[in-house]
Amino acid sequence: MSYNVLIVDDSKSMRRVIRKTLEISGFQIGEYMEAANGREALELLENNWIDLILSDIHMPVMDGFGFLQALKEKNTNMDIPVIFITTEANEDRLNELMALGARGYIRKPFRPEAVSAFLGRIMGETDDHTMGTNSKGCDF
Amino acid sequence: MITQWEPILKDVISDVLETMFFAMVDFDEDCEQRSFDYRSEICIVNHQGRIAISLCLSGAFARMITANLLGIDEEQVGEDDLRDTLRELTNMVGGSYHARMKNHEWSLGIPRAWKIEEMAGAEPGATGLRFSSYGEPIGAAALEFLPEAVQN
Repeated sequence: MSYNVLIVDDSKSMRRVIRKTLEISGFQIGEYMEAANGREALELLENNWIDLILSDIHMPVMDGFGFLQALKEKNTNMDIPVIFITTEANEDRLNELMALGARGYIRKPFRPEAVSAFLGRIMGETDDHTMGTNSKGCDF
Repeated sequence: MITQWEPILKDVISDVLETMFFAMVDFDEDCEQRSFDYRSEICIVNHQGRIAISLCLSGAFARMITANLLGIDEEQVGEDDLRDTLRELTNMVGGSYHARMKNHEWSLGIPRAWKIEEMAGAEPGATGLRFSSYGEPIGAAALEFLPEAVQN
């Protein structure tokens, strides 16, 4: 099964790295889209079907918190799993994201194989429609 | 909180470079002093002040880790890619250091990167940690606590 993926990060380099990480780890990508901040991502979501969102937290224009809040306010988008890939170290802020509906977080630096395993678990849960419980974050 | 920062910063830099950039470095106080080409910086801030972490790297090493991160040849590395990568490196170093502080009153700022020739006095001072790769001096790191109030 392939997934339509949206990567949201203000760093072009990180967007490339995350995409490459997905590809080399065997994660099946259908359509691939990217945005440099939350607002750009919301615009893309207006006209595109997305199965998985991987997002940074610290971004200009609209950060990860604003993006997630806006996303969850729209009924059509509220079930899309959002995973944050971040350097954020503040557990309170990460827990706040989880409470807002994030499906998990991955701390940078990360190892590709660990990202693959984490995403496999998250998307497996999605297929089983067990989205009610948030997954924990992971450090690599 | 920021006492004994040197071993923590060494550990963090080594871990980030090895995990994401496939590069290994050695920290050596006797490492030859050199002028470097790029500098990047990130601050960890709270109401008391800020902790500024800065990195200086040789152009060759910066190009190599950019190529490693992006999975491209060094000849394909553009200046924008290089600076973007240095910001990410600094972001990860700052974030990892912040995580080791285990104090949530501090928050991570936005990383910056620039060519040293563009900014006078941009290299870390003599107290900076110097590091090398295969015996070649390739960079230096410094951490400084600035207690003045921060206006955000």
